[in-house]
Amino acid sequence: MQQREIGIYENVLEYISLEISQVLKKIPLIYKESVEEIRLRNGLPINIYSMNSDYFVAEDGSITKDKHRGKLVTKEDIIKTFQLISNYSVYAFEEEIKNGFITLKGGHRVGIGGKVLYGKNGVEKIKNISSLNIRIAREKIGVSNKLMKYIIEYPNTIYNTLIVSPPKCGKTTILRDMIRNLSNGLTDYNFMGLKIGVIDERSELAGMYNGVAQHDLGPRVDVLDGCSKKDGTIMLLRAMSPDVIVMDEIGGIDDVAAIHEIIKAGVKIIATVHGSSIEDLRTRRSLNILINDMIFKRYIVLDNSKGIGTVKDVIDGNTFTSIKI
Amino acid sequence: MGLLKIFASILIVSSTSLIGYCFGNRYSTRLENLLHLEQCIKILETEIVYGAVPLPEALTNVYIKGNKKVSFIFEEIRRNLLNNRDGDLLKSFKMVSNQLTEQLSFKETDVELFLSLGRLLGSSDRSDQEKNFKLILKQIEILKNEAKIEMDRNEKVYKNLGVLAGITIVIILL
Repeated sequence: MQQREIGIYENVLEYISLEISQVLKKIPLIYKESVEEIRLRNGLPINIYSMNSDYFVAEDGSITKDKHRGKLVTKEDIIKTFQLISNYSVYAFEEEIKNGFITLKGGHRVGIGGKVLYGKNGVEKIKNISSLNIRIAREKIGVSNKLMKYIIEYPNTIYNTLIVSPPKCGKTTILRDMIRNLSNGLTDYNFMGLKIGVIDERSELAGMYNGVAQHDLGPRVDVLDGCSKKDGTIMLLRAMSPDVIVMDEIGGIDDVAAIHEIIKAGVKIIATVHGSSIEDLRTRRSLNILINDMIFKRYIVLDNSKGIGTVKDVIDGNTFTSIKI
Repeated sequence: MGLLKIFASILIVSSTSLIGYCFGNRYSTRLENLLHLEQCIKILETEIVYGAVPLPEALTNVYIKGNKKVSFIFEEIRRNLLNNRDGDLLKSFKMVSNQLTEQLSFKETDVELFLSLGRLLGSSDRSDQEKNFKLILKQIEILKNEAKIEMDRNEKVYKNLGVLAGITIVIILL
């Protein structure tokens, strides 16, 4: 397992300019296993995010909290890294760059910061790239196993579920693992696999690369990659006859309309949202509509009090009481 | 003795003619290779601007579809690019620039144009790439015309010069 995690990290280094990747190769093993983000910023030290904290990396590969010791990233490094990430083909990633990120083989995502240029149809390109944030995708197979009993509805369907979590608490990872469990089926619960339509607006859930999902989502999944929730819902309902539709990070009023469409069609839904509690969600108008309409029957609230992906509470959507055992 | 003289004379004339021919031939080889290069760049343009094919794959396609006499350099660039993985495309272009002068009889201006392709390739969006390709193809057109004029002017001169030099040497020696 440890070896696999280190392998993932070293694969990601292939996409970073030689000067920087040589430094990053020397960091201690414990960090190699757990790095979640590598941040390169023009003229600033290499920054990694690992185990809930951020560190700088010194020239000799040691980890430090002192920004003055960190190895500085030059403009050249950023340009070379960007070339490697885009496979020397910026033109082939035009659409992705407009959205602010590129997905790498393995499902890792690279966020791009720089000067944004507008054209007739919104953002046209990002130039003078000043920062890159490489988010290492680490699949955690089995993290949702404990939660499945809350969302399975007898005999063979699920409750509409909303995962509520602050950023970086593992909601996407848990959602991804739920998709895998539901599409595989669960013998423990005598649960047959369901057809799942995934609307992967940010290419995070499936991590599609050249039409192949880079994460294990099981055998009954259809993915709409880079598709908006509104359009994706219509497309899935019309053509793919899913049992469940999954979407990440809802929030806008369009998303609410899409969810109503899904419910109307008798299809179940699992979604995630940024937030720390149901009270917090109620402060947002669009989400308040969903809560009052009692669309979701299960709310799974996450935090990172005992590490990433801690399940703080599971709440019933009709009575708003905790059902966590 | 006479037979030996005739034999030696033939040898001298044929070797100088050959030298003249080689010098003269460089001009037509350059023109021919510029034509092939132009074709390769056009294929690359189609791959990139209309197909949005990632560069390494596009380079292989150019190698396959283009005339192998010239298109092999694109395959070499690709190999170099993927082996080095240091994010510097121009470096890979520079690696093959020696071969351009040695094997393909390109002049310095031709190599410079080829390197400018390496500076621009892949680093911007499609509309930008299209503009750059247009510019490079226009420049290659100019180089082709220039190569044609040079060929018309010099090729025959060198070839004739070779033969005549041989004859002159023979006359002097006799």
